[in-house]
Amino acid sequence: MSVHAQDLVLPVLAAGLVAAAVVIRIRTNGTEAAKGRRGLLRELGWCAALLVLSVIVMSSISSLPLPGNLSSWWIALPVVAAIIIIISWPRIAARIVPVALIFYGLSGFVVARDYAVGGVINSYGVTAVGNPGFQADLILPQAYGLLLLGGWLVLRSADPVLVRLRRRLGPVADAPLGQQLRTLALVPVVAVLAGLLAPRLWLAGGAALILTPLLLFGVLLVIRRWPVRAAQLATAGLLCAGIAGLAITAAWRSGSTVISEQCSISPQPPPVPQPTARLSVPAQPGKAASVHVTPVYSGSKPVCVPTPSQAFAGGGTAADVADVVWGQALPYGAVLVDSSDTAVAAGVEGLALLALGTWLAPQTFPLVRRMLGGTPDKELTKRVERLTQSRAVAVDTASADLRRLERDLHDGAQARLVALGMNLRAAERLIPTSPEAAIALVAEARRTSVMALMELRELVRGVLPPVLADRGLADAVRALALDSPLHVETEIDLPGRAPAPLETACYFAVAELLTNAAKHSGARGARIAVSHSGRLLRIEVTDFGLGGADPAKGSGLAGVERRLATFDGILAVSSPIGGPTMVVMEVPCVLSSPKTSSC
Amino acid sequence: MRVVVAEDLFLLRDGLVRLLDAHGFEVAAAVEDAPGLLTALISERPDVAIVDVRLPPTFTDDGLRAAIEARRQVPGLPVLVLSQYVEQLYARELLADRAGGVGYLLKDRVFNDDQFVDAVRTVADGGTVMDTEVVTKLLGRRATEEALARLSAREREVLELMAEGRSNSAIAQRLFVTEKAVSKHSTSIFTKLDLVPSDDDNRRVLAVLAYLNG
Repeated sequence: MSVHAQDLVLPVLAAGLVAAAVVIRIRTNGTEAAKGRRGLLRELGWCAALLVLSVIVMSSISSLPLPGNLSSWWIALPVVAAIIIIISWPRIAARIVPVALIFYGLSGFVVARDYAVGGVINSYGVTAVGNPGFQADLILPQAYGLLLLGGWLVLRSADPVLVRLRRRLGPVADAPLGQQLRTLALVPVVAVLAGLLAPRLWLAGGAALILTPLLLFGVLLVIRRWPVRAAQLATAGLLCAGIAGLAITAAWRSGSTVISEQCSISPQPPPVPQPTARLSVPAQPGKAASVHVTPVYSGSKPVCVPTPSQAFAGGGTAADVADVVWGQALPYGAVLVDSSDTAVAAGVEGLALLALGTWLAPQTFPLVRRMLGGTPDKELTKRVERLTQSRAVAVDTASADLRRLERDLHDGAQARLVALGMNLRAAERLIPTSPEAAIALVAEARRTSVMALMELRELVRGVLPPVLADRGLADAVRALALDSPLHVETEIDLPGRAPAPLETACYFAVAELLTNAAKHSGARGARIAVSHSGRLLRIEVTDFGLGGADPAKGSGLAGVERRLATFDGILAVSSPIGGPTMVVMEVPCVLSSPKTSSC
Repeated sequence: MRVVVAEDLFLLRDGLVRLLDAHGFEVAAAVEDAPGLLTALISERPDVAIVDVRLPPTFTDDGLRAAIEARRQVPGLPVLVLSQYVEQLYARELLADRAGGVGYLLKDRVFNDDQFVDAVRTVADGGTVMDTEVVTKLLGRRATEEALARLSAREREVLELMAEGRSNSAIAQRLFVTEKAVSKHSTSIFTKLDLVPSDDDNRRVLAVLAYLNG
């Protein structure tokens, strides 16, 4: 068996990618050695995952829907470029990889479509080309898996909103009734639009490659801009998709749709005038061993066509089936519905989605909870628990602050004033006898007073920073940005003032985050965005450092979170290895009178 | 030299007036709130105004805002702002018009009356005086920058004093070196920071502050 050079391209490149993956792990995690056995296992897990991923990508990269007959050699060029990027700029690579995953995931749909509609066989992932045991069932799960993985990575590095949604659907419960009703009214419109668009996108595989990223971008935008509405639409979408899955199964079982396995589902069997038809229709669905490759025609229109898997089962090859117009197959979630088995799988999938949607509904639509009669006691108990906790934290914090203030005053300014008084008294005595010594004492007293003033200044700054008192949160954050050793950009849009205690809490939260960024992230620049919309004050602090910040480890972030909780605020952190670190804080509040113009 | 003083606490206002009297200044008006300050500044047209940041009626930054407003109406009106705290944000706002004739000092600096009076005179002459704390913070922020890292320790000291608004001769006195040595350092600083050199003390200070604020 001769080995062609071309056959070696993919394995060699796969090895290269794996090596690059190892390098990327070492480089982005170089500062932090794997701690303990669990850390090591996690590292190994990462490497294994990257290895599997690389093999999947490399073994099937030739199936990418590229125009013309691009050989592996041509595809190799960008891959080599990718390896160079991964090794030289791991952080950029960390951003490219998720996008590549999404695109490769999308190409899976094109492969599946080509197979289902045109009978074209392409290798995809672990589904190899030219293999008689070509397993079409594996295409869609792989595609969805890659899409999910890529999407998850993008969301993780783009915005911690999903973390927020997962952790607490609090703000959703506060959504006004009118908004809930409007969103509910939107659902059928979105469902109809999706129903109209989906099959077209499905059939136009190339267009899907372009349109799906746009759709994904739109989804991200909606999640970012209207997290509450996104949660509601997602719930409704799950319910619709679940019902659709059940409908597909029902249609299949009742035989009201065109299926290739049974050739026809109309109550009366279609006329099959040509006696040359060699297709035997199995009595039992699923037992298709005797199916032959030849389709059955009525005139020029095929009325009975086998699926590719039936064709292969009957001993056919890709060449035999390439020209056949295939029967209709419907993609649903991770399965391609073209037999009764896959129809059942679609039903199971639909049930799971329906269950998920039903579970989410009372949380995203308080309206539904009210309609169901819900269990308000449980909600109230939860709320009381949270309030008790946050009240305890607030009281503790306040008393700790007072104690610190007392101690600082006692050891600092008070002690210095005592020293000052003693110096002045001593000077008083010395004036008649040795005025020069008296002058020296007075000078020392003056220095002591400067020190006392300095300490008082620091103290006041820790209690209520002057700019915050003078100008409010917006300018206070600007002042923080100026005082930080990092180069900090600010983007602040606050049409009014938040309540004073909240402003103070937010100010110290931003100060803490900036200090963290300056100390630990290794970043040179950071960005602060403050905005207010829909009764939510939102503050984002992003640093362009190494990432890897863990709220569970440092007590700083946990402290900020506890303090914000007093105001029903929440904090979400996104800090992938390689950065950037983004911390989002959201606190419900109403702004008071618009900014008064400076005099 | 005619001075307008704005300070709401009687003790401090009285102390300031006495200190200025003792050094031969003529106190044209001593006011206790922001509207009074604005009126006095526009009607008296003093040679220099000494203003506390925090003034009635709102007890926030009324003094600062009144000073900036007065300088908008009378460009270049010399104003020395005093405060219990120095904030880079406020320093930046005072320097924004790049007209010179501004100062921003901690109130403690009054203790050293010679230096304080020097500062008042510098501002009245159209110079710029910044508190050491402001300059330290400005330099601290940009410490990692390449251009600043190229400066020698001595050059950094000179830069710091220059940013505070001191003239070459004052810097020479302070560092116990000759004026010629200071001007050599300052030429070197301007070359290293890629700034346009100038013989005029005031313009040099403004250039350095603009660079540090940039």
